[in-house]
Amino acid sequence: MNTQPIQKYCPLALFILLCSIPWLLTDQGYAIRVLTLLLLFAAMAQSWNIVGGLANQISLGHAAFFGIGAYASTILLIRFNLSPWLGILVAMILAGLTGGLLSLPTMKLRGHYFALATLAFGEVMRAIANTWSSVTGGPVGISVPFSPNAGLGMMQFKSTIPYYFMMLAALTITTFIFWKISHSKLGYELRAVKANVDSAEVIGIDTTRTKIIASVISAALMGACGVLYAQFNFFFDPDSAFSLVGISIRVALICIIGGIGTVFGPLIGACFLLPLEEIFNAFLSGKGAGYSQLAYGVILIGIILLEPRGLTTLFKQAVQRIKA
Amino acid sequence: MSFLQAILDGLMLGGVYAVISIGLTLVFGVVSIVNFAQAEFLMLGMYVAYFVWRYLGLDPILGSLISFAAVFVLGFFVQQFLIRRVLKAPEVAQIFLTVGILICLENLALIFFGSEYRSVQTSYQNEALEFLGLIISMPYLIAFIASGIAGGFIWWVLTKTWWGRAVRATAQNPMAAKLMGINTDQMYRIAFGLGVGLTAFGGAIILPYLTVSPSVGGQFGVLMFTVVVLGGLGNVLGAVVGGIAVGVIQSLSGLFLPIQLQNIALFIIFIATLAFRPEGLLRKSL
Repeated sequence: MNTQPIQKYCPLALFILLCSIPWLLTDQGYAIRVLTLLLLFAAMAQSWNIVGGLANQISLGHAAFFGIGAYASTILLIRFNLSPWLGILVAMILAGLTGGLLSLPTMKLRGHYFALATLAFGEVMRAIANTWSSVTGGPVGISVPFSPNAGLGMMQFKSTIPYYFMMLAALTITTFIFWKISHSKLGYELRAVKANVDSAEVIGIDTTRTKIIASVISAALMGACGVLYAQFNFFFDPDSAFSLVGISIRVALICIIGGIGTVFGPLIGACFLLPLEEIFNAFLSGKGAGYSQLAYGVILIGIILLEPRGLTTLFKQAVQRIKA
Repeated sequence: MSFLQAILDGLMLGGVYAVISIGLTLVFGVVSIVNFAQAEFLMLGMYVAYFVWRYLGLDPILGSLISFAAVFVLGFFVQQFLIRRVLKAPEVAQIFLTVGILICLENLALIFFGSEYRSVQTSYQNEALEFLGLIISMPYLIAFIASGIAGGFIWWVLTKTWWGRAVRATAQNPMAAKLMGINTDQMYRIAFGLGVGLTAFGGAIILPYLTVSPSVGGQFGVLMFTVVVLGGLGNVLGAVVGGIAVGVIQSLSGLFLPIQLQNIALFIIFIATLAFRPEGLLRKSL
């Protein structure tokens, strides 16, 4: 790879910047909470990006893996007092397995069909979580118990700053994995699949296997993010952990805004969408239910009609227009 | 006997499923877009029928005509101002545009109509026919008959009228249709309006035995897509077969599954059809 120095040091500079932000803010304030969630959603979007961006399979059901992760670790914590650090392993295995099993019948599907199948799967998982009360606690939701020996060992902190760094680590790891995959044999295979499935098969790529591997990795990372969310938020219910709009569509939208299939797309998209949502919530939450979600739908439609390839493309076009 | 009863109930349900799904399959077949927001148009149809009942005192079965007309006009403009602009765009754009419409419609309903569950009262609400020991509930029977009439009407429009032929020509080959002097953009608008209108009609005729709320679409989304995929996307006759099949399966699974898990049965059928027979159960299409 013949990258220019500026491109090489850009990620490092960004990382240092993200590391230094907490020192500028109070440790339990509103801003640091928003930033923490922003990093988590960027990490989730990056996990989605592995399937959505590299294999071009638009999943509308990633909340399924997120919810599996959140429930798995929390249930293990409540029942067996298992540290979420071990819970995260179980969550990743479960989510990865589910992702792999789901991809067996669905990975042959293209475009709309895949989107439909994953959407239906997410909704079914939500129905199961709501119905299977003896395990999940049902529609009333589930709380992460406060551990008396809170700290790193139980992944529980009084301050928001450790969470911030946890999410930053999650984003760094998912981004690194995404970057590694996109520069590996698997990445080139995925891009071949994306460009033309049939010719990819002709040149000897096992396209189904390639897609299954990608979806297992993607699902496992999403499951890990679910655990982090559970530990950070302390409470969730089936409708929020398996939410179609709140999770599945949101992570996909973040990637679309930032640019699908690009390394920095998820972070750019999250930096745009999450603050925007906060602004909408601040202005519209007093007006009653529905307004902020409506605004969300309007943003989605607006971006699609404006430039479906994302803000980065829009930005590049603007730069070119200024140059010309 | 409960087995036969379940099959009869399933048939009654299936007739309605067929009509709401014909709307979805028509939109795909002609406009070639998968409308993720289709079930939200069903919700709108239910609300129109509800308010017509409440303020004009009209039975939802008659109100369904107003639902159809109102949502037809809405669909006409949704096609003109939104869908038309992504017809040549990448699939991602198409998927997320209709998902955006879904979010908007659901929350507009929440803002304007509130989150409470609403239902209508009719004179025949608790009536039922008894026949050889089998029971047919009156609201279900009426909805079934109304579906049959609507299905027949759509069949007549598509096969016997100039408009119907023009719409089908546009579906088969837009370029050739254009060369024959058909205004294809107009046909897309009509087909989209007709499709969502028909689904809204289906929403209105089931109002006598269901309640409406802004999130009611969620109950029908997966169901409708299962019907349409079973029948083959874009296949009107297939939607009828798929609708009946899903109605009967749902009703039979109700014998041994709790109601929330019936969706899982549907989902398994849905995935299995997509994986093993993506062209649907029927080969012939309309």
